[in-house]
Amino acid sequence: MSRPPRAPSRVTRPGRATRLGLLAATSALAVSGCTGGIAASDPANNGQSFVSGSAGTTLYRAGSGPVAPVVSGSVVGGGRLSLAAYRGHVVVLNFWGSWCPPCRAEAPSLAQLNRQFSPSGVRFLGIDIRDSPATAEAFMSDFRIGYPSLNDPSDNLALDFRETVPPSGIPTTLVISRSGRITARVIGGVTYDGLKKLIQRVVAEPG
Amino acid sequence: MTETSRMTETGAAEAGPQAATDTGAPPPPPSAAYGAAGWLRWGWRQLTSMRTALVLLFLLAVASVPGSLLPQQGIDPAAVQQYYVSHPGLAPWLARLGLFNVFAAPWFAAVYLLLFLSLAGCVVPRAYRLARSARALPPPAPRNVARMPQSVRHQTGQDGPAALAAATEVLRARKFRLRTGDGWVSAEKGYRRELGNLVFHLALLGLLGAIGLGGMFGYKANRLLVSGTSFANTVTALDVFHPGRLVSPADLQPFTISLNRFDASYVTSGPDRGQPSSFNAYLSYSAQPGAAAQRYDLRVNHPLNVDGAKVYLIGHGYAPVFKVTDGTGKVVFDQPVPFVAVSTSGLTSEGVVKVPDAKPDQLGFAGVFLPTAIDDDGTLESVFPAALNPRVSLISYKGNLGMNTDQSQSVFQLNTAGLTELPVAPRPLAPGQSIKLPGGAGTLTFTGYRQWASLAITYDPGQIPALIAGLAALAGLLLSFFVRRRRMFVRAYPGPDGRTVVDVGGLARSDPAGGFDEEFARLAEEFRAAYAGETSEGKSD
Repeated sequence: MSRPPRAPSRVTRPGRATRLGLLAATSALAVSGCTGGIAASDPANNGQSFVSGSAGTTLYRAGSGPVAPVVSGSVVGGGRLSLAAYRGHVVVLNFWGSWCPPCRAEAPSLAQLNRQFSPSGVRFLGIDIRDSPATAEAFMSDFRIGYPSLNDPSDNLALDFRETVPPSGIPTTLVISRSGRITARVIGGVTYDGLKKLIQRVVAEPG
Repeated sequence: MTETSRMTETGAAEAGPQAATDTGAPPPPPSAAYGAAGWLRWGWRQLTSMRTALVLLFLLAVASVPGSLLPQQGIDPAAVQQYYVSHPGLAPWLARLGLFNVFAAPWFAAVYLLLFLSLAGCVVPRAYRLARSARALPPPAPRNVARMPQSVRHQTGQDGPAALAAATEVLRARKFRLRTGDGWVSAEKGYRRELGNLVFHLALLGLLGAIGLGGMFGYKANRLLVSGTSFANTVTALDVFHPGRLVSPADLQPFTISLNRFDASYVTSGPDRGQPSSFNAYLSYSAQPGAAAQRYDLRVNHPLNVDGAKVYLIGHGYAPVFKVTDGTGKVVFDQPVPFVAVSTSGLTSEGVVKVPDAKPDQLGFAGVFLPTAIDDDGTLESVFPAALNPRVSLISYKGNLGMNTDQSQSVFQLNTAGLTELPVAPRPLAPGQSIKLPGGAGTLTFTGYRQWASLAITYDPGQIPALIAGLAALAGLLLSFFVRRRRMFVRAYPGPDGRTVVDVGGLARSDPAGGFDEEFARLAEEFRAAYAGETSEGKSD
């Protein structure tokens, strides 16, 4: 398959093995009929919204996950923020939209886990997809989301992840280690217990 | 599948040029004494027989039927969801059989793969045989050349070898392939027929491969884009995404497209009044992050090509802009909402507005957008597709939108189960007008409208190879239709009177009515002239 030459990215490219592994995981997902991740992305402005199958979680062994791109952008409600500000922290990155029912379903768990893990240095960051500022702010105050979210009106942030772990549906949640490596990806809504385990796993890691 | 792949291995080793592969009818099953290898060979011949290929082709057609009768996950997921609601008992079973996603179902893939194998198994040995036949020398001249369908007998004063040499020169000049022996020459022409046949068969394989390539590495996607907004070609930004089996989200061409303006022109008078005359989606796009933005005027059947991915304009509509203030006085919604046309003549469009974060209650609105509204005796209707007199008419609800669950829902439908309709007169709103909801539930303002375009993105790496293979197949077929294989035989021996007798025979192996008579007569005449002989007898049928 011919691919266009790509601009050199700021982050280290993941090894070929990782990419193949991901590919295998994705195709295994497709084969098992669990197409929730890729095939049934939750559309915002189209009537064809349907999330099928169950959420899929991909885990990476410590130190083997791809390095997350250092995204930056404008914050919902004002200001700018870069993922670089969270270097040295475990980061939970959540792609969401106020229009997406599974995102609304998981929001209370995310808000609670943020409050719970904030003292241990875990930082939560949202990336808001296909929302207007008004609806995004209403969502965040409605669910008392205590962490910031970046606006992504042109999907540039989602595109930044294309060479590492592209979000393949909304919601998608990534857990990033202190060294900036992605250690887990959850496609579809997270549960309180499920995400808690994923966070604890990384928090327990040394360094 | 292991069964089949084993067949391939054994078959590839053993399926030489065997007559059974070619005859269409499958051979009889082997007797018990044949053992496993015999059965495998028999199975392979069954699979690669023309009859099996036809049955599989028919099966493929039949297998696609449920895809058009039942709603399909990839095409209309909301309809699938609807089917689950209306047939709660049947739907899970249909899902288990893969009938909601026929083209991705394992049994569909099995039929496709078997057909592929069957065709490959049929075509590959044939291609091998054709290649051999295209390189083969003509057969030796028969003992009795005069018994050929075309024949003539000459007598000449020259001796045998000299007469043969003269005839050989003529044949060589005519680009015949030659074979000589003791007292004879045989020659053949028209090998391009076999070449054409070979090209046709190989192109057929190429076509299959190209289709497979597209199915593996291609994808299709849709995206509705409101003017003034942009999106990137990444899975989260797409409304519908059908990846090929080996496509990962990282493989999508990372372009970004902004819709700067959408123009639709309509015929304003005459019998075609209201018919669209042109659609123009003025885009700016960049092929990858950081690349310079370029402009493109996207029109129907005039796709944009970015890195091999094609972007088509496939639909358009209006997106009225609403601003909603909730009961607490906060602006909780301010954005365009795409409405979908329900009538083509006036582009009357339907849509819903969901405000899930309004306080104290969630708010929902369902209604119509009328581009050119007129009041016809109390009934509001749109008489022209352009927005000359835009109006919006809405029904207002409050309560539970059902959006705080894992259950996805259509953005074009309001789940009214948890909602109560608010007693507001459905007065049509002009841009700038508001509805004040009773009970301090909030206010909705219709602030204006924008247009949207819907884009289809397709990437099919097999398209060009398929086209090339298709053209090659056609060329090969034409070549094999129009070129005749024909043979010439010349035998020279001493006659009873001491002069040399030269027997010339001809045989057209295919298409006997294709003018070989004249060619034979002409050649024979050239021979005769070359060795200065005279005709003693001849026949031609």
